[in-house]
Amino acid sequence: MTGGHRRILVVEDDPETAGQLVESLTTSGYQVDLATSGNEALRRGATGGYAVITIDRMLPDIDGITVMRQFRDDGIAAPVLIVSALGEVDDRVRGLRAGGDDYLVKPFSFVELLARVEALGRRSDTIVKETILRVGDLALDLVSRTASRRGKDIVLFPREFQLLEYLVRNEGRVVSRAMLLQHVWDLHFDPSTNIIDVYVGRVRRKVDGQQAYPLIHTVRGTGYCLRAPG
Amino acid sequence: MLLAKTLTSSTFRLALIAIGTFGVIVSAIFSYVYLSTSAYVRSRSDRAIVTEYLSLKSTYERSGRDGLIALIQERIADSSFADNVYILADPSLVTLAGSLRTWPSTATAAEGWIEFRAPEPLPNATTRPLLRAMLGTFPSRDRLLVGRDISELDGFADQIKTAVISCVVLIFVLAGVASILVTRRTVGRIESINAASRAIMQSGLDQRIPLRGTHDEWDRVAENLNLMLDRIETLMGEVKQVSDNVAHDLRTPLTRTRGRLEKAYHGHRIGEDAKALIGDTIADLDAVLRIFSSLTRIAQIETQARRGAFRTVNLVDIAGEVVELYDAAAEQENTRLTVVGDREVLVTGDRDLIFDAIANLVDNAIKHGRSGGQVVVANENIDGKPVISIADDGPGIPPCEYEQVFKRFYRLEHSRYTPGNGLGLSLVAAVAHLHGARIEMLDNSPGLKLKLWFSAPMR
Repeated sequence: MTGGHRRILVVEDDPETAGQLVESLTTSGYQVDLATSGNEALRRGATGGYAVITIDRMLPDIDGITVMRQFRDDGIAAPVLIVSALGEVDDRVRGLRAGGDDYLVKPFSFVELLARVEALGRRSDTIVKETILRVGDLALDLVSRTASRRGKDIVLFPREFQLLEYLVRNEGRVVSRAMLLQHVWDLHFDPSTNIIDVYVGRVRRKVDGQQAYPLIHTVRGTGYCLRAPG
Repeated sequence: MLLAKTLTSSTFRLALIAIGTFGVIVSAIFSYVYLSTSAYVRSRSDRAIVTEYLSLKSTYERSGRDGLIALIQERIADSSFADNVYILADPSLVTLAGSLRTWPSTATAAEGWIEFRAPEPLPNATTRPLLRAMLGTFPSRDRLLVGRDISELDGFADQIKTAVISCVVLIFVLAGVASILVTRRTVGRIESINAASRAIMQSGLDQRIPLRGTHDEWDRVAENLNLMLDRIETLMGEVKQVSDNVAHDLRTPLTRTRGRLEKAYHGHRIGEDAKALIGDTIADLDAVLRIFSSLTRIAQIETQARRGAFRTVNLVDIAGEVVELYDAAAEQENTRLTVVGDREVLVTGDRDLIFDAIANLVDNAIKHGRSGGQVVVANENIDGKPVISIADDGPGIPPCEYEQVFKRFYRLEHSRYTPGNGLGLSLVAAVAHLHGARIEMLDNSPGLKLKLWFSAPMR
């Protein structure tokens, strides 16, 4: 990635949260600019070149949604992650409808935020049109929707294939349970039980069972990561 | 329908009571009028008889039997005394003079009043009239009877009676009709206000009860109800504002706290013990936050702010997605999770919320059902109504707890130690209420069957 693609604009009015955000993003190798108000965000955003912009929904001067709309009107296409304390379904929908690319509810785990920022940053890269995805000895045929390891077919239900595809596309990156629900099931809801874990567990048995090495790893307290050893 | 409501309405009952009371009073007044009128007429007639009797008696005393016979004959010939009846009889009751040839058999007393049917028609008449007469016996034991035809008096009384009765009947009929009409109007107006209120409860607080512009008491009732609705809407808005602010104000410090904990967790110089402690704290914090957002969400659904997202959706599709999502979880419990029923069951609603409700019910069924048992999700159209039911074959719920389980944080004794926060069914209830759906709990013997009766989709 070029330097420009590692630049992030964080719009957050609470100084401590902003500080924590900047710190954790910087630690992860991003170059972070901070705006503490809507107007400052608009000024900084106009200079362009950001890979991802995170915007707090409630700002002291201008509403976060308005800021984002303004960005879109100004032709700034960088993906936007809306961070909100409102956390209500309606606001989530409203945020996405106004041109937000993803939505995160306060308080969030920084690992989750990083995972989402990573995913958004990747989306703004050129999308590669591939028909076969490979990680280690795992191959996903996106046309026939089949998976195999070392040439041996793995029987998957359509949803299981989608889940594996999402993990493969985010190879090496942490994917949270909420992200899986959102992108694999298209659901914005918070299941009280560990259904995602159970689901991933089933896919994992099919993919990693009786293999030389595991591909799907659990990241404690956050989610999952698919990666080949070495 | 409206007539039935009219007849059972309280206004109509009041009207009936009023008509009853009024009717009794009117009947009493009219009876008094009737009785006093007929008594007056009768007493006038009696006075005329007495006067005539006394005049005849004095003639007898003055001019003797022959003088009286002459006078009686004179009177009979005189047309102005045509209403009168006279009989003068000797002590053996043989008529000496008079308008009747025979002494009435009932007139046995020496003196006094009698009423009798004439044994023969009077001169110049064809019918036998009813007579009232005064009897008297002179010292010579000759007897005199002076009477009048009272048939006409009776006819007059009858006429008054007929008039009074028809008046009373007419009043009752008119009052009855009037009260039905008035009640009907009232009930109709109340019904329209009721219908508007129901519609407002169903579809949200942005509607108002329509006014007729007549500025009558009903318009005032509607105006006041509308004012109340305005107030409720304002309060709801304020509550929402407050909870939004609370949400914001609570979440900001919690975000900082979580951030600090996370930073500590990922710190380099930290022991395993401390790390585990911090990890548990983060998990607890997340649990608190989950409860918090569940409560906000239920409250938000209950304020009915989400009807904008209503579309026609197929319950079968949603149920299919839920079952697919929970398939693995069911498999883990060795539970057979299946969808049965119709292929298309359409409802008007919010897909995400319905998904959430069904997911909660399926989650409960798997969690509280029998391990190795089965959970059946059935979609049906019953009498045009879309119905979804979720049934397990576990221990079920005692019927006395059916109502309780929808309360926030309520947990059954035997499920106190299974994961969950006691908010799932409250959310289901809120979603059902938003959609105007009815929840029915049934004994699946064994197990619990919960049915959601939606209303037919809007076309």
